[in-house]
Amino acid sequence: MAEVREYFKIGIRNIRTRQLRSWLTILGIVVGVFLVVTLISLSSGLKNSIMKQLNALGGDIIMVMPGSLDNLMMTMAGGQKLSKEDIQAVKDIRNVDVALPTDQKSEFIRFNNIQKSVYLIGMPWDDGKDFLINFQGWDLREGTWPTPGKRELIAGSVVADKDFFGRGLSTGDTVVVNGKKFKVKGILNSVGSQQDDMAIYVDWPVYQETTGDRSGDAFAIMVKAKDGVLPDDLAVEIEDALNEIRKRRRGTDVSDFSVVTSEKMGSIAGGITGAIQVAVFLFAAISIFVGGLNIMNAMYTAVRERTREIGVMKAVGATNRAVINIFLIESGIIGLVGGTGGVIFGLIVAKLVEYYAKGDSAFGLEAYISPQLIIFGLLFSFLIGCIAGYLPSRRAAKLKPTEALRSYE
Amino acid sequence: MENKSIIRLQDIWKVYQLGSVNVSALRGVNLEVDPGSFVTIMGPSGSGKSTLLNMIGCLDVPSKGKIFLDEEDTSTFSESKLAQVRGAKIGFIFQQFNLLHNLNALENVMLPMVFQGVLQEKRKSRAEHLLKLVGLEQRGSHLPAELSGGERQRVAIARAFANEPKLVIADEPTGNLDSHSGEKIMDMLSTFHKEEKGTLVVVTHDPMIAKYSEQVVNIKDGQIIKNHSQAGESLWQK
Repeated sequence: MAEVREYFKIGIRNIRTRQLRSWLTILGIVVGVFLVVTLISLSSGLKNSIMKQLNALGGDIIMVMPGSLDNLMMTMAGGQKLSKEDIQAVKDIRNVDVALPTDQKSEFIRFNNIQKSVYLIGMPWDDGKDFLINFQGWDLREGTWPTPGKRELIAGSVVADKDFFGRGLSTGDTVVVNGKKFKVKGILNSVGSQQDDMAIYVDWPVYQETTGDRSGDAFAIMVKAKDGVLPDDLAVEIEDALNEIRKRRRGTDVSDFSVVTSEKMGSIAGGITGAIQVAVFLFAAISIFVGGLNIMNAMYTAVRERTREIGVMKAVGATNRAVINIFLIESGIIGLVGGTGGVIFGLIVAKLVEYYAKGDSAFGLEAYISPQLIIFGLLFSFLIGCIAGYLPSRRAAKLKPTEALRSYE
Repeated sequence: MENKSIIRLQDIWKVYQLGSVNVSALRGVNLEVDPGSFVTIMGPSGSGKSTLLNMIGCLDVPSKGKIFLDEEDTSTFSESKLAQVRGAKIGFIFQQFNLLHNLNALENVMLPMVFQGVLQEKRKSRAEHLLKLVGLEQRGSHLPAELSGGERQRVAIARAFANEPKLVIADEPTGNLDSHSGEKIMDMLSTFHKEEKGTLVVVTHDPMIAKYSEQVVNIKDGQIIKNHSQAGESLWQK
């Protein structure tokens, strides 16, 4: 294998003698690997931030939501709600410690002569305050929690930021929500979820009054089990209770609700982001494949051009294996250099996107760059190089020395 | 004569198919090259002398007949085995020099040793020694493009001798050189022949070259028409 070093030398010399073409070929791989690295690291980052949001939701919390989980998107868009009766049924379950209904609606909020649309979230402060502090880890940056029943609100950290209204919100400010005046009572520290940070929170009755929706229906119920009760067990109890209600109401024995533990939520989110990653990977893989075709094309050209040289090498004792190795190493180097360039370029762009995304409040995205991704990028591009070089190198090896020598440059 | 020959051609035919016509480049050639001899193959162009040289150098496979290299039947060799044996036992010098243009002189000389798996240290010292013998010890780091025609051919000669071959084959070695350089090359080859007791087969149509050799083979229309040793100079004739 001592000769492999020599083959490397020959390969690198050959690449350098046709510099422009080599760089173009390498560029083809750079683009592919760059796409893989950027997209995968960003989508992994997306996955991480979703998981972080789920964690922010709290480990032992059970979410009760309208609609079927199989059709999460429809539920989100469809405006289905859980009825007042449902809320009460959940509250009545013995193993339930706290059941907190929440509802949300997009509303206009006006401050500093600027009107913006944010989520107005309503939840009962009497139960909700402790729940949010103890189990969700929310805390106020300034101010106090509102008095239940009063037109007071707390604002998420993004809403309070000076970039949002051109002037930072602070305690004591008055804002107008859906035409009604509210006093800002407290401002939240970031709760780790972009969506929650860009919302304002009011008491449950105040929410109903502001939005005009007095049905008492909830978009979701957050449930905390009593100590010693397993979330999964309680989830079953909740399902039974809600099914009971639906049975009593004739004709609606379909389970039009979902009870989700945070574990299950995680796996759903994992499935969605996983699908995104697969899609992203497929697209990127196609572009690497094209890069591979490019290498193959370049190597066929190289074989044609160097027919005579191949003849000489065979005349002075190069076996078919040696000729194949020389060309494989050459295309492997092209792949590897392209891969290295792609990884570096990809990391830079991923970091740039992250940097600019951080400035944009609605789209907080962190690039997640795993060492595996880098190793994969390098290895994969090297492999693509070798695979793309295989057929051309075989053609080179099969040349008859006499015919190769007869060709004139 | 029961001398073990280096290369022995036995009723060699080479037929090329050009469209629907079969062209016989060699027609039943028998030839033995004995160790330590200097053979010149002469003939007009199109006579089949290059084809014959390819056969002697085991670069080509005959359509019919057998080639024995060191009394081994090469038709039984695999392509790779043949390449290996060729690299070890036969050195080539071409009219076009055929140096690898992006390797420098020293690396070109080392190349045949690379394929034989000779270690780097040994490769280098042997190549330096050979370059010195052809008077190019100062030019080792130059690329072929930076050398004159004569110098390139001298590098090619050094390369041909890299693996201490039993047989060196030269195809019109002076064909692309001016007469002065050509003479120098022939001097060098005959010196190698005499001092290293190497076997040399040269193809040429230049009668001047024939005077260096001990045996002249004339070929015409794919057949050997005359095979004679030059009086008094032959080493192999007792």
